[in-house]
Amino acid sequence: MAYRDTAHHEHEHHEVKYVYIFIALCVFTGLSILVDALHGLPYAAKVVGVLAVAAAKASCVMLWFMHLKFEGNWKFILLAPTTILAIGLPIALMPDVAVNYYIKDVPQVDDYEQAMAHAPGGHSAPESSEDHPPNTEQPAPEKSH
Amino acid sequence: MSHSHSPAPASNLKMGLPIPNSKLGMWLFLGTEIMFFTAFIGSYIVLRLGSQGWPTDTEVTHIKVFWGGLNTFVLILSSYFVVIAHESMSLKDFDKARKFLTLTFVLGIVFMGIKGYEYYGKFDHDILPGRIPENNRQAGMKAVRELDAILDKTGIAQMRIELASPDVTPERSAELNAAVATLADFETDVKGFRKNVVEDRFDLNTKTGYERMEHSLEELKTKHPDRTSSVHHPQVILYGNIFASCYFLMTGFHAIHVIVGLILFGLVLKQGANLDETWTDWVENSGLYWHFVDLVWIFLFPLLYIV
Repeated sequence: MAYRDTAHHEHEHHEVKYVYIFIALCVFTGLSILVDALHGLPYAAKVVGVLAVAAAKASCVMLWFMHLKFEGNWKFILLAPTTILAIGLPIALMPDVAVNYYIKDVPQVDDYEQAMAHAPGGHSAPESSEDHPPNTEQPAPEKSH
Repeated sequence: MSHSHSPAPASNLKMGLPIPNSKLGMWLFLGTEIMFFTAFIGSYIVLRLGSQGWPTDTEVTHIKVFWGGLNTFVLILSSYFVVIAHESMSLKDFDKARKFLTLTFVLGIVFMGIKGYEYYGKFDHDILPGRIPENNRQAGMKAVRELDAILDKTGIAQMRIELASPDVTPERSAELNAAVATLADFETDVKGFRKNVVEDRFDLNTKTGYERMEHSLEELKTKHPDRTSSVHHPQVILYGNIFASCYFLMTGFHAIHVIVGLILFGLVLKQGANLDETWTDWVENSGLYWHFVDLVWIFLFPLLYIV
């Protein structure tokens, strides 16, 4: 296969300092953790921030580590269908996200909100004979959000 | 094939793409892989945005941001080593290639080790799909089920049946009575706890009711530490089950990909000193695959650990 050698030589001609790409990737990873650690940051800004960093990292890996920067135009033909479909899938799911037709009155939400409203009911206390007495002096349990 | 013996055509005509078939195959495969993970990530986004809440407290979900970040570094470093290995293969420096492939292999193992440690935390705290209570009552019932299972294992019910049998010998009867006596206290406490939960004497729909149940369970565990060591803290995690499903589905399939990558590199390393240029395409294609595995993790880390 004549093109085999061509393809290999193609790579050798591009002197890439891969260590710089590696350092950039490490810096980006540090940036993600830094964004996570910034407590004052609005949630939306945090989401956009970490995903933008992820996109930048992905670009570095694809362009240099996967050599897409140096490959021929076949890469566009080969990756176009999957890219279109990969973009199309979230768009197809968008009505689910935007319309949000899920019922809000699911039992666990009602129960949880009721429980969180800390309204002690008129129930009887646990039996003292074989059960443990209630102790309201215990610290509040840490609950999930 | 018959035409293999005929002289090569002098024409410069080239059919197909100017890359080896194996590389074309790998890229096509990676195209399907992009779709595979896009489906998971897309579903995760829809499920998350469609839910009113989501467990984001890492203390509750036992998500370890540091270890996830370290694993990101491990994969990036391994990707870098693969690039160096492939470059060395192209330059016919097979010893260097083998060295960097070995390092990549080791880093893959390290990644799996850290992943295993994270999974251990999830299993240890029962952060597993279908096992997480999402309201106070479910939390109480989970504790009851776990305690009942322990009580069943003690065999006290069977001992009572055997004791009631007319065929039991006096020696066996004494033995059984002694065994039942040691278990009776635990049985009473478990039954008491069960009664309070099932009949809702704790009033579990209130916060103080939950605290009563939690305190009661803690007292029971303190009294019988050896028997109740496997009983989990009844942590309520709203939307915890769907969170755990997404977490294990995505990280699990990613981990399977890492294992496949390790096999691909392992086959090269198996060649030892016999590694030659016939493996160059293999290393390049395995490298492409490995970079893709890295790429997936680059998105999973912020989506699952940070956002």
